[in-house]
Order: sequence, then structure tokens, then C-alpha cells
Amino acid sequence: MGVTVTAAKTAAPGRLLTQVAGERQTGVLMVGGHPGGAVYVLEGRVIYAESPAAPGVGELLTASGRLAGRTWQNALDLGTSTARVGRLLVEQGHLTQGELELCVLGAIYDAAYFALSPVSAPLDFLSGATHWLGPVVHVDPAAVHREAGRRVRLLDEIFPDARVDTAAVAPVPRPPRERITLTAPQWELLVHADGQRTPADLALLLGRAGFATIQELRRMAAMGLLELPETRSEGPEFVRLSHARGTAAEVRRPVPSGAPVPVPVVAGARAAVAAPPPVAVVPEPPRHSLTEESGVVYRPPRLARRKPGAKLPKEVAGESPPEHQGTDEVLLKRIRTALRTMR
Amino acid sequence: MSIPGVVGASIVDYTTGFPIATAGAAPNSDHEATAAGTADVVQAANSRSLFVSAMPHDLLEDLIITTAGGYHLLRMLQTDFDSRLVLYVWLDRVQGNLAMARRGMQRLADELVAP
Repeated sequence: MGVTVTAAKTAAPGRLLTQVAGERQTGVLMVGGHPGGAVYVLEGRVIYAESPAAPGVGELLTASGRLAGRTWQNALDLGTSTARVGRLLVEQGHLTQGELELCVLGAIYDAAYFALSPVSAPLDFLSGATHWLGPVVHVDPAAVHREAGRRVRLLDEIFPDARVDTAAVAPVPRPPRERITLTAPQWELLVHADGQRTPADLALLLGRAGFATIQELRRMAAMGLLELPETRSEGPEFVRLSHARGTAAEVRRPVPSGAPVPVPVVAGARAAVAAPPPVAVVPEPPRHSLTEESGVVYRPPRLARRKPGAKLPKEVAGESPPEHQGTDEVLLKRIRTALRTMR
Repeated sequence: MSIPGVVGASIVDYTTGFPIATAGAAPNSDHEATAAGTADVVQAANSRSLFVSAMPHDLLEDLIITTAGGYHLLRMLQTDFDSRLVLYVWLDRVQGNLAMARRGMQRLADELVAP
């Protein structure tokens, strides 16, 4: 079967998926951008999906200890060329058919969320391509697409700030209240968050679904347990281009008179213990109050959801001039972000 | 569907409230709404209540909701890998037998993931 590549173009991934599904095509829809992903279709039905932000079947099975790394590698070595890795694992008695199907289904919907949720992304369709796992399940592309959209809404109902999904996870040094109840997955995330790992890193490390990880992180952000990234451009971009700040939020709004001098990065409890910052510390409202933060949504369609009259966050309303970003910590965070993209 | 009196069944991802597999009927003919409700109930019992925190390593096994017309059974599917799935079965009140259905579901859940 020959593999033909369509020219890369930028469009809605879900629409192209619907189109190739309608034509009962076989191949892979490659979605660029961050985190991007790929959706594999066989005669118009989805058989697999993968994304760097979602652990695949192999990671889920080995990170949990269900399969030894060696067992998985053997199946890959034997079955990759003939696209029957999944079937081999069942035939050799390492997995039950039920387990494999449940695992693949979970992985498909998880990766599809990352691949299909962007409104627009660079797309490629490689006609004729198949996945080495082989067809284990067949899913209706419309259901996959619909579910990806529903998951976007689910997250925004929890805490409408997409920055949580991609930024390095940093727990607040001091919890915002005396008593906190955590679920087991939340505990796991907090224990493994070292201020460097992104949600995708944590999902891979723990063998947890990427979406479930983000969901728990948004819940924790809503509880005020996570430091929110102070400077972030729109969407899940890892690199903030120099012009992004001006275009990230298209809010034509006068700077409020007497706007306080923005205090970048240092907030709340940390300011109390750190050495006095070089700029005047202006008392800030709690960083995690929902009414305040619900405006900090950088994906353009969601800006409309801002409550009328709600205060804009300083970094949007104030549009702080470059000289205020010059503190060391902002610079360090930028360098860290840049380094991370080069990995 | 080997359990007598079953009207419908599904396997639901309770983190998202999405039915990854369905069979038979669902209340109001809406498997997706049923799945969303199933997820709510599981979340309430699992993370918003203290029932499963009574002793260490205690786990939620199943939930039974009884209505005048039927039983709604939810059984957690324990997989070694991260999946967070629950098996949902809608049982007719007259034709179904709750005890048998519960045992059947347990067997089904075990067989699904055990070699």
C-alpha cells in the first residue's frame, strides 16, 4: 500500500478527521503544534491515537507494572513490522483481550483530546499509513471528535485557565487555607511535582492519562494549591515569541488610572520569605481567587466568557512595559522555558 | 448481557463521564447522559465522601441505586494500568435478581482483566 502525503496546511483537525472518515480512508492524521498528536484511521474508523502529552499503550502498561519493559519490547520487536503488537501480547498470554481493548480505548480518547482540541493546527494526512499496534478496537470518528470538544468544556468548568495544562507544575509553598482534602491522584501529582515537570512529564512518569492529569491539576489550581504561571502566551505554546505578549489578549482597554506597579512572579507567601524584591511590593489580592483568575484565559474564543465587570488580571490590563519584566526571576523562567523546548 | 433482567449496560470512564462501550438501552435512551450521571455518582462516593477512607487500602467496589422500576448497578473495574472505568448495568426490577446480577457483574469485571 503506497503512502501519499498531502501538503501540510493549517486547519481544524476535527474537520479533516471527519472528512477522511467520510471518505473511508486509511492513514494517519498528523497534527502539528504543541503538544500535537496523530490519529490513525482504518477505512474511516479510528483505531489509534497518540500524542506526546498522553502516555501511549506501552507507557500505560509498563509504568503501572502490568507488563515488564522486556515483555513490551519483545512484542514491539516481533510485531512492529507486521502491525500486530497488540495481537501478539494477547496471543502470548501477557494480556487479556479485555484489558488490551480497555487500555487502547482509553489511550485513543486521551490522545485524541490533545490532537483534536486545537481550533486550528498544521495538519498532514499520510494516506495508507498504519499503526504498529494493529487494529484492536474501532471507534466512530464523530464520537472521538465530539468527546474531545466535551473535554475542553469539562476543564473550563473546573478552572478556566489553560495555562495550567502545559506549564511546569509548581505547588504553592503554603496552602491557602488550614484544611485541605486531596484525592489519591492529586497527592501523587503533588509529591512528584518538582517545579520543573510539566503535566505531560508527570503523566508519563506516573503512567496516568494525560487528560486525567490535567483535570486533577485544574482542580488543584481551583483550590489555590498551584502557582499559576505569570507569563504565558495563548494556548499550549511552549515558547513565547517576542510579539506574543501584545497579541495574546486582544483586549482594547485603557490602563486603569493608578494601576499598581506590576510585581512580576513573586506572589503571596513566597514574597514573605524571599529577600525584599527590588520593586515596591503592592498588596495583591489572593492570586487564586476565581473571580480574578477567570479572566486570565488566553484562548481567543474563551475571552468572551469573562464576567462583565470582572477585574482584568494585571498582566492583561496593565500591559506592563518591558522594563518591569527585568527582574531576575522572570529572566530565569524565560531561559528555563526556552531550554525546555530544546530538549 | 448474560445476566437475567438486564436492560442495558455500559463501560464508563468516570473521570470524564464518557461511555467507552455501550450495549442495550439506557435511561431516556441516552447513553452519554447516563454515563455523565454515573461518573457523578462514582466521584461523589470515591472522592467527595469519606466512605472509602474508613480504613487504609479500602476501595470502592460497587454502588447500587434502587428505583421503583429497576436497579442501577455500578461496579468499579480494577485494572493494573491507569483506566478509571466503571461497569454500569441497568436491571429490570421484576425480571432481574439483584444478588445474581451483582455476582455476575463481579465475575464479568474479573474476567475482563484477569487471564
